[in-house]
Amino acid sequence: MRARDNPFAVHRVLAIRYRLAGDGCDWRGLERRLALLDFRAALVGPHGSGKTTLLEDLGARLEARGARLRRLTLRRGERRPPPADERRLLDGLAPHDLLLVDGADELGCAAWWRLRRASRGALGLLVTSHRAGLLPTLHEHVTTPGLLAAIVADLLGPAAPPPPTPPEELFQRHGGDLRAALRELYDLYADHPSCPEGARPDMPGGSWTRRPPSPSRLVQIE
Amino acid sequence: MSITIETTDGRRAFRPGDRIEGTASWYLEKEPRSVELRLFWYTQGKGTQDVEIVQGVPFDNPGAVDSRAFSVELPLAPYSFSGKLISLLWGLELVAEPGGETGRLEITVSPTGVEILLRPDLAGDARPG
Repeated sequence: MRARDNPFAVHRVLAIRYRLAGDGCDWRGLERRLALLDFRAALVGPHGSGKTTLLEDLGARLEARGARLRRLTLRRGERRPPPADERRLLDGLAPHDLLLVDGADELGCAAWWRLRRASRGALGLLVTSHRAGLLPTLHEHVTTPGLLAAIVADLLGPAAPPPPTPPEELFQRHGGDLRAALRELYDLYADHPSCPEGARPDMPGGSWTRRPPSPSRLVQIE
Repeated sequence: MSITIETTDGRRAFRPGDRIEGTASWYLEKEPRSVELRLFWYTQGKGTQDVEIVQGVPFDNPGAVDSRAFSVELPLAPYSFSGKLISLLWGLELVAEPGGETGRLEITVSPTGVEILLRPDLAGDARPG
């Protein structure tokens, strides 16, 4: 199958937005809780559980309400951000700036405390982390086989045949890492001779030149 | 609200270095601040997505309902191609601001007029450009 037709191509996976689940968990409640935490909070969860997606989606909602977003993505083992990125994040902070830091648990102590101190001049600091404790936990990410199955069904479309490996089995094999499970599905479908009948190989809407794919998420998907 | 991009004679397949001519039309609710046609390529597949704008054609004083002729020249590379891991596609996109309303037309850029397939077993998927 051509890469462009693969139902699990990155551009299609990235189009899946975060699904809040659980008792009393909705967007309004999440935003209210974030405000109660003075906009300083962490999204906590294991690899491939949707932290980055939620960070982006929550950021977009707050941006629509007037916050100005400043983003930083830490790569694995990056104990401090590159100086240029740090300057872009922190220089000239204003009271309506919201700092979004993806992978904050990668930072070393000095860089983390510098960030926390600098963020006092901003509206808030929202981070993702694999472990709790950096900031009060706003949302703890939990994945389930059912969540993976629902995402797979959305990517394949209602008329497509089920995947060769059941989502539940993939979920177990990858220890709940949805990103890794979806990557394996990409490989499984890449060997199909053609796009499965009924699958949705269409391109997500919106501009492709105005809004280039977010490098922060792509780094993690790769 | 609608945005359409049409090439002369409805051509969708071009050779590297060709000139693409056509008409961009839009029907917007409000008068836009700017409208630009962009010639670009992008990738899809398993890895990092790339997008590169090769040429932008801004239209002066765009109205809410308007139609403009355009002409852009394709570079010599890259070609439209597909493998199992990555596809490279070309397109024309019209972007109206504010609001980011867009319309897009996919095209094929290749010396043969059809997408280059990196493996023969992908031929079953190929569609004319």
